[in-house]
Amino acid sequence: MASPALEEHLEAFAVGGRFLHTSPEFALKRVLAMGLPRIFSIGPCYRDEEWGPLHGAEFTMLEWYRLGCGYEGIADDLVRLLAKLGVPTPRRTTVEELLPARPEDPVEAQRAWVNDVEPKLIEPTLVFDYPADEAAFSEVRGPIAERFELYWQGVELANAFTELRDPKELRARWEKNNRARASAGRPPHPIDERLVDAVARHGRAGGIALGVDRLVMLLLDHSSIDQVRVCG
Amino acid sequence: MASYYQTSDFRNGIKVVVDGNPYVMTYFQFVKPGKGTAFTRTKLKNLISGAVIERTYRTGESLERADCEERTMQFQYQDGDMYYFMDMESFETIGVAQEFMGGAEKYLLDAIEVQVMVYNERPVGVELPNFIEAEITHCEPGVKGNTAQGATKPATICQGAVVQVPLFVEEGEVIRVDTREGGRYMSRVRD
Repeated sequence: MASPALEEHLEAFAVGGRFLHTSPEFALKRVLAMGLPRIFSIGPCYRDEEWGPLHGAEFTMLEWYRLGCGYEGIADDLVRLLAKLGVPTPRRTTVEELLPARPEDPVEAQRAWVNDVEPKLIEPTLVFDYPADEAAFSEVRGPIAERFELYWQGVELANAFTELRDPKELRARWEKNNRARASAGRPPHPIDERLVDAVARHGRAGGIALGVDRLVMLLLDHSSIDQVRVCG
Repeated sequence: MASYYQTSDFRNGIKVVVDGNPYVMTYFQFVKPGKGTAFTRTKLKNLISGAVIERTYRTGESLERADCEERTMQFQYQDGDMYYFMDMESFETIGVAQEFMGGAEKYLLDAIEVQVMVYNERPVGVELPNFIEAEITHCEPGVKGNTAQGATKPATICQGAVVQVPLFVEEGEVIRVDTREGGRYMSRVRD
């Protein structure tokens, strides 16, 4: 890939001036822009500086995108997939409901989330509507980002968006994240011009990324993704 | 000059200072929301009170290293709730209260050498050798003909520590035991 990510806190493996992909998102959005209405990818992704029972340098991601819907349509897809796998229908809630006294400082807000909220999301749960400053690639509506996540057994399993289609806004977020990376002494993530071009051309779309190793781990009642991978 | 542990240096057993008190790390886990910053969740046990606290550190934050001295000392005797150890070079004796023994008291053998942890001149813990050899002071006889794989029975060693041993092991035999994780039988020791 020419660029590994938009997000501030994602580290990629650099190989010969390019990057192993941290997710197939950039390529899939270019396919969306070609007009294919329902697309998916399942395969390996690579992220540096992540380790432990729920992380690995290489892991398996399922992503799918659908033209003509937002994140609600993707939530319906996900609920159908989970039902086929025998996972109970997730309850639906919001970030606001789970963390009403969200600290203003973004780091403290995330610390409160990993400490006080995530460990309690035991039943399958869809968490909707993130604060706009945690929008990543999602469309923002007022103070709310059209983004949801799936949790089960306290484990984050999937992240979905109503996909952002405003190239100016995408570029602004990318530059903001790169300023934050620079002040943390990190190299910037180059802006991928082919992606900026693609988001301007595809229609309204929803998309999702689901961690396959983690889902299989939970379905088989294991506690580490190493136990469900041939090579950890 | 204080030195620090970065989150990538976190390991079980490191000794750190939090709010002026010494703690030992008993659990750590890397957590990173897909779209967020990375944290390490930890459980820390107060070396003096034994109380456990949970703290979450962001990558880039660090913890001050607790200046714990580990002294190799030999067990001498027990008097009530106090266990006395001697530095075999200086012949200095230190008494460690039961509450700081952390279960190690059950494994004390005559003249066993242990590591006594000292923080600010106070003994705050005792570490056993990873492996000890001890005579079984009590266990039920094995049942003849029972060859079931993996069957075990409890055996008492040292000052009341109980480990699970295979059925063929008998009272009075000397066994090798891994003292970590609550005591685990390794093998019989033959003369």
